[in-house]
Amino acid sequence: MDHPAIDAHQLTKFLIRFQAICALVLLLMVSGLDFFFPTQYALKAAVHGISAISALVVGTFITHRAYFLLRGARTNYKSLRKWTAAATLLNFLGAVSGNWIYMRYRGQDGPRDWILKNVPDFHNVLMEFKEFVSLFPFPLMVVATFTLFYYKDHIHLRHDMKQFIAIIMMTSWFFLMLGFVSGLILAKLRFV
Amino acid sequence: MKTHQSNSNHAPKSDHLDDSELKMPLYSGPIVAATLSALLGLFTLVVTHHVSRLTKGLDQMIHSYGYWMPGSTGTGPDGSIGNYSGKETLALIVWGVAWLLFHYLWRKQDFSLRALTPLFIGTLIFLMLGLFHPIIDPVVLFIAGLFGYAAS
Repeated sequence: MDHPAIDAHQLTKFLIRFQAICALVLLLMVSGLDFFFPTQYALKAAVHGISAISALVVGTFITHRAYFLLRGARTNYKSLRKWTAAATLLNFLGAVSGNWIYMRYRGQDGPRDWILKNVPDFHNVLMEFKEFVSLFPFPLMVVATFTLFYYKDHIHLRHDMKQFIAIIMMTSWFFLMLGFVSGLILAKLRFV
Repeated sequence: MKTHQSNSNHAPKSDHLDDSELKMPLYSGPIVAATLSALLGLFTLVVTHHVSRLTKGLDQMIHSYGYWMPGSTGTGPDGSIGNYSGKETLALIVWGVAWLLFHYLWRKQDFSLRALTPLFIGTLIFLMLGLFHPIIDPVVLFIAGLFGYAAS
C-alpha cells in the first residue's frame, strides 16, 4: 500500500513559522495587556514592554543568523541587513520608551519611592544596574548594522569581520536579556 | 593591533564574490572606529553616573547637559528623567564625536580584529561590573578620595 507523507520541507517550514508566531503573540501579550491595567501610566508601560519584547525577539533571531557568520557559511546578507536594521530600530524604541516610563518610575509615590522604602537594594543595586545596561544593546547593534551596510556583501570576503560582527550581535543579545530580565523583576515588584 | 595595509591575508575565496569584484581593498578600520567609539560612549555613561553621585554640584552639572530632552526636569507623580538625561547626552556626544574622528583617521587602515575581540569583550565586562554598585563603589570612593571628593 502506498502511504503518501506530507511534504517534509513544507511541513517543517509551516511548523517553524507557526511556532514562532505563537510564541511572539503570547510574549507580546505579557506587555500588550498592560494597556488594560488599572493605572494612568498603562500606555507608557505597554509601549515600553512591547518594544523591549520585540527588541529581544528580533535580537534573539539575529543571534541565530550570527552562527552562520561565525562559521563563515553563506548567508543572505540583504535579509541580514534588514533584520539588523530592524533590531537597531527596536532597541532605539526600547531606549526612548524606557526614558518615558522611567519618568513615572522616579515620580512622586512611584515605584522608586516604594522600592526604596521597602526593599532599597532592588533600586540601589538592580535598577541602577539595569538602567545603564539596558542602553548597551543599541550602540552595539548600531555597529553591527553600520558594518553590514558599509561593506555590503563584500564582507563575505573577510571571515574575521564576519566573526567580529557575530560576536557583537551576541554581546548585544546578552545585554538585552540582562536589561529585560531586570526590568521584568522590577515591574513585578512594583508596577507603575 | 595594527597589522597591515591590505586585505590579501584575510580574503577567503567565496563562491559568489571574489577579490576581482572589489574596486577597493576591504579595510577593517571603519569597524574598529565604530566599535571603539561605541565603547567610549558606554564608558562615558558609566563615568558620568559615578561622578554625578559624588556631590550635588556635579550632579547638577551633568543633569544640565540633558535639559534639551523632553521630560528631563519636573516633579510630581509624572516625575522626570532627571540627571539620566545628562548622562545619555554626554554619552551620545562622546560616541558621535569619537566615531567621526576615528572613522576619518582609520578608514583606510587595517587592524587585527582577532586582537580587538578580547579587548572588546573585556571592556564590556569591565563596564558591566562598573555598574554593579557593591563591587565598584569602594573603587569609586577610593578614586574620588584621591581628587578630594567624598560621596554625598
